[in-house]
Amino acid sequence: MLNPFPKLSGQILARQIRNLLFFVLFFLYLWLSVDTRLVYHGGGMVPNFPVFFRGWEFFRQSIPYPGGLVQYSSAFLSQFFYIGWAGALIVALQAWLICLCVDYFLKVIAASRLRWLRFVPPVLLLIAYTRYAYHFVTTTAFLVSLLSVCLYLKAAPNNNLRRFIVFLIFSVVTYPIAGGAYLLFALLCAIYELLFTRRWQMAPLYLFSAVLITYLTGVLLFGVSLADAFGQLLPVSWQVMVYPERRQMILIPYVIYVLVPLTALAAGLWRILVSTNIEEKLLQLISSEHTAAPVLRWFGHSSLLLVTAGAAILFSYDIEQKTLLEVDYHTYRRNWPKVLEAARRHTNSFYVVHQVNRALYHTGRLASEMFSFPQHPSTLFLTGRRADRLLRWKRLDTCIDFGFLNRAEGDLAELLEVLAEHPVILKRLALINMAKGNLGAARIYLGALSKTLFYADWADYYLALIQSDPELSTDRRIQDLRRLKPKKDDADIFSTLHENSANDRMAFEYLMAVHLLTKRLDIFVANLDRLDDLGYSQIPRHYEEAILLYSAITKKKVDLHGREISQQSRQSFKTFFQTLESYGENKQAAFNELAKDYGDSFLLYYFYNRSGMKK
Amino acid sequence: MTKIYKYLAPALALVVLSTATLIYALRDSKIEITQWRSIARPVNIRPDYSGTVIPPNIAPLNFLVQEAGSQYYVKIYSQRGKTIEIFSRSPKIIIPQGAWYKLLNINRGEQLHFDVFVKTEDEPWNRFAPITNQIANEPIDPFLVYRRIRPVYSTGETSIHQRNLQNYNDTPVLTSKSVRGVCINCHTFCNNRTDKMFFGTRSKRQGSFTVFVQDGRMFKLQTKFGYTSWHPSGKLAVYSVNKVRQFFHFARSEVRDVVDLDSALLYYAVDSKSIKTSPKFSAKDRLETFPTWSPDGRYLYFCSAPMLWTDQNKLPPDLYRQVKYDLQRISYDLDRDQWGQLETLLSAQDTDLSILQPKISPDGRWLVFCMCDYSCWASYQASSDLYIMDLKAAHETGRYDYRRLDCNSDQSETWTSWSSNSHWIAFSSKKENGLFTRTYLSYIDNDGNTCKPILLPQKDPEFFDSHLWTHGVPELVTEPVKVKGEKLARFVRSAPKIPVDLPITMATPGAKDAPVDTRWQERE
Repeated sequence: MLNPFPKLSGQILARQIRNLLFFVLFFLYLWLSVDTRLVYHGGGMVPNFPVFFRGWEFFRQSIPYPGGLVQYSSAFLSQFFYIGWAGALIVALQAWLICLCVDYFLKVIAASRLRWLRFVPPVLLLIAYTRYAYHFVTTTAFLVSLLSVCLYLKAAPNNNLRRFIVFLIFSVVTYPIAGGAYLLFALLCAIYELLFTRRWQMAPLYLFSAVLITYLTGVLLFGVSLADAFGQLLPVSWQVMVYPERRQMILIPYVIYVLVPLTALAAGLWRILVSTNIEEKLLQLISSEHTAAPVLRWFGHSSLLLVTAGAAILFSYDIEQKTLLEVDYHTYRRNWPKVLEAARRHTNSFYVVHQVNRALYHTGRLASEMFSFPQHPSTLFLTGRRADRLLRWKRLDTCIDFGFLNRAEGDLAELLEVLAEHPVILKRLALINMAKGNLGAARIYLGALSKTLFYADWADYYLALIQSDPELSTDRRIQDLRRLKPKKDDADIFSTLHENSANDRMAFEYLMAVHLLTKRLDIFVANLDRLDDLGYSQIPRHYEEAILLYSAITKKKVDLHGREISQQSRQSFKTFFQTLESYGENKQAAFNELAKDYGDSFLLYYFYNRSGMKK
Repeated sequence: MTKIYKYLAPALALVVLSTATLIYALRDSKIEITQWRSIARPVNIRPDYSGTVIPPNIAPLNFLVQEAGSQYYVKIYSQRGKTIEIFSRSPKIIIPQGAWYKLLNINRGEQLHFDVFVKTEDEPWNRFAPITNQIANEPIDPFLVYRRIRPVYSTGETSIHQRNLQNYNDTPVLTSKSVRGVCINCHTFCNNRTDKMFFGTRSKRQGSFTVFVQDGRMFKLQTKFGYTSWHPSGKLAVYSVNKVRQFFHFARSEVRDVVDLDSALLYYAVDSKSIKTSPKFSAKDRLETFPTWSPDGRYLYFCSAPMLWTDQNKLPPDLYRQVKYDLQRISYDLDRDQWGQLETLLSAQDTDLSILQPKISPDGRWLVFCMCDYSCWASYQASSDLYIMDLKAAHETGRYDYRRLDCNSDQSETWTSWSSNSHWIAFSSKKENGLFTRTYLSYIDNDGNTCKPILLPQKDPEFFDSHLWTHGVPELVTEPVKVKGEKLARFVRSAPKIPVDLPITMATPGAKDAPVDTRWQERE
């Protein structure tokens, strides 16, 4: 007779080390690579990220629904995504708990050979977070349900009646907490009773009770619809299905939810139909496992796990999404060097280039480096595109920068509908209303913001400032916005830009950029005298290129008010045309050569509509 | 024995803790101030519940003392009954409900005084000049049904709520969430009762329809009612169909603006389930809207403006700022279903303002309406104010004189609802913030004068400081809405629509254009 226990304790330790290693790496990956701060920020791309407000009122509103407690606590925990390491830790803990629960359940149903399945949910979560899909609430509900299953398995007495009472107690506690996810609890308990304890009569009783409890509590007590009573917090809820933006990576919660019941079903059926003495086989298996080299096996299993997780991450990695989020995150914080650094990774996006242009302006490089990125006339103001959620989000800060406060306010009001009271939206609405002098409305937005976890200081500061200085005369940003605000109601973006370009450098550079991108060199040249008004000591590079080109095309001399075109620009211009002419009619062949040296110039853009080619 | 000790310690701790809490609570509620310094001015409180008339059946007017201090003491008293004393370490003054009801109830018609004392750390108590309010003899209708919406630009989450004015109970009648994103609006009741109710719904998936609730039975009519007014007999309801479009301003403070490109009035006969109209209020060259019945059912009042554009696709249309609505009425014979002559009571040419949203007091004497600079959408115009007209005097003199009500502010005031005793109005105002509409209540005396309006009281006096919803279409009713919640939602979600034939008499927007871009029809 074998005694596996001394070896088992070693095996358990080895498993724990593997678990620890996996979840430490899980945490580090989420913290350092995924960065949950990006999920929190959302960039208009994570529409189901929950809002959370401190105080009784928000709690009172959140709780009286099936699953209200999970929703409330998930919303609270999700706020810590704002702090990178804290968010990563919360997700890692959730994944670890799911892993533990799955492991425990598999152990109880004696499916030890399938215990590797415990890592499937965490790996799936890794994939979801790699794609910045937010399903934390659903997975928390799943965890609560699974936790209830484990507790039930631990607490269930042998007597059928008592067992049923325990089930009922767990049910009435789990359903209000986890909502529709409770059905998973009921299903797993039923499968367990049916296939593993052979209490045939309990399974239908459990399932029937679950339906009854859900109906009584959900529909009659909470007063929600039948669909909500059964579907709340499940990934199949209509609240997910109806809105396409909430279905991002929805397959992952589906798999997580069906994994355990399907495994239990398969293991149970296997046990009944194929293996009649599974315990014996299990012991044989354990003994046979322990005859092999355990260290080698540990390394093998651990490597397999890490390679699988790594491969999953690698295949789900989406550089565009990450860049979009990262660029947006740094743009929001006006961390311009970081914006440019992040944007280099993936420049093939209108939205990224739009933010890059702002970053270039704020670092004083728009007029000399904008063609280092792939430009298009619509990237500056994201015009000519359908105003969807993402576009509204991306363009609103540009609108604020230029003082187009009404347009930004309109976009924010629309976003408020889709993204709810996200602090980033409330903050901007407060800023706009302060700039417009609507202090009453600003106070309400600030009031809401002061109940958030991480924006309260900002809100409290401005609430105090409004009290002490209602004109907000000491706040430079607000004063700037007031100065730039359009004065005429029948104006539009370009007429306002034109008006402001006389004394606002940003308006001027954007206006000139519009002329360059639309190749309106005559209007561009006509506006050059504003270089004097705005204190430019030198002519920026792209302006030099445009001036040279204009002179060459029209044979007209441009009055530069005593400024000189640099020798470098003249030489570069000359070489460009020599190269172009050397290829005669074959412009495509010329492009291939010109792109290498002039891929970041206005000249290449002018002739080929291409830029951002130079590596 | 050990087991007993194990539980005894926490139990004892619990008892000690409870006793301490109780002592602390009792200590707070009893205080005697023997010395104080008198401050000549009244205390600053928010919301401003001072110097006005309050309903005898209103929920406690909890408020925030806006004076620096570390302790606050408030005495509320009247001619009779026990004085309410509140001691608080925070400036939030929460009035006990039971004592408040008793005090108000036995002092109808009397004055109600608030003595506020504030103490700072190092100084003695300051006693401010008392706040005095009048308790009206006439109660306000105890329920307010209103609509919650965000200050949005297109459709979004909406809901109809009902608020018990005698306490703070506020429950949803129907939420767009419960009907899967369907937009809900324009709830209408008959004679301040809830046994007959209409409300409209719109969604891209389900189209537009009207839900009609009568004595607990529900019907879903396959057409969208706009502004609706029940004939007092309950036998028919007149409603508007509006081709509503929204556009945006680039520079002015209120970004949004709305225009009815076309509109007309129709009426729904309950018994025959038929929809009719008359060329007198569905003229092709005019925009008719905001119907309201006189309480005797003999006249239909409504607003009407000339349509100044021919291009129905241009937005905003030419001359939209010149569109100003007149106040008109037309007589009606219910028995013969016959409409009489059209009369213009008040012309926009005379007022130089657009006359909108007329509402007649249930006793038939007063007509309250709002006027704003132009167009049909008063809530987006700060110029919108409430005005009153004495219909009894007008009947006698033949002159339809009107005057501006005192309850107005420099922000928009709109949408009035009368209490069934004709002494209270509930109306929408943006006076506090210019963006989020709130409901105010104001007393109207026998001469048609309004008193300082009171903000709808909340349990937490700071409730509206961070409330991101706008409250619109306040309707006072004498009883709660009976069909609500999931029962109503289930009906809205699943019941089949009853097809209705629309009269083809004009460019009826409801008939021709309802499915087009319905999202723009959703407004406050």
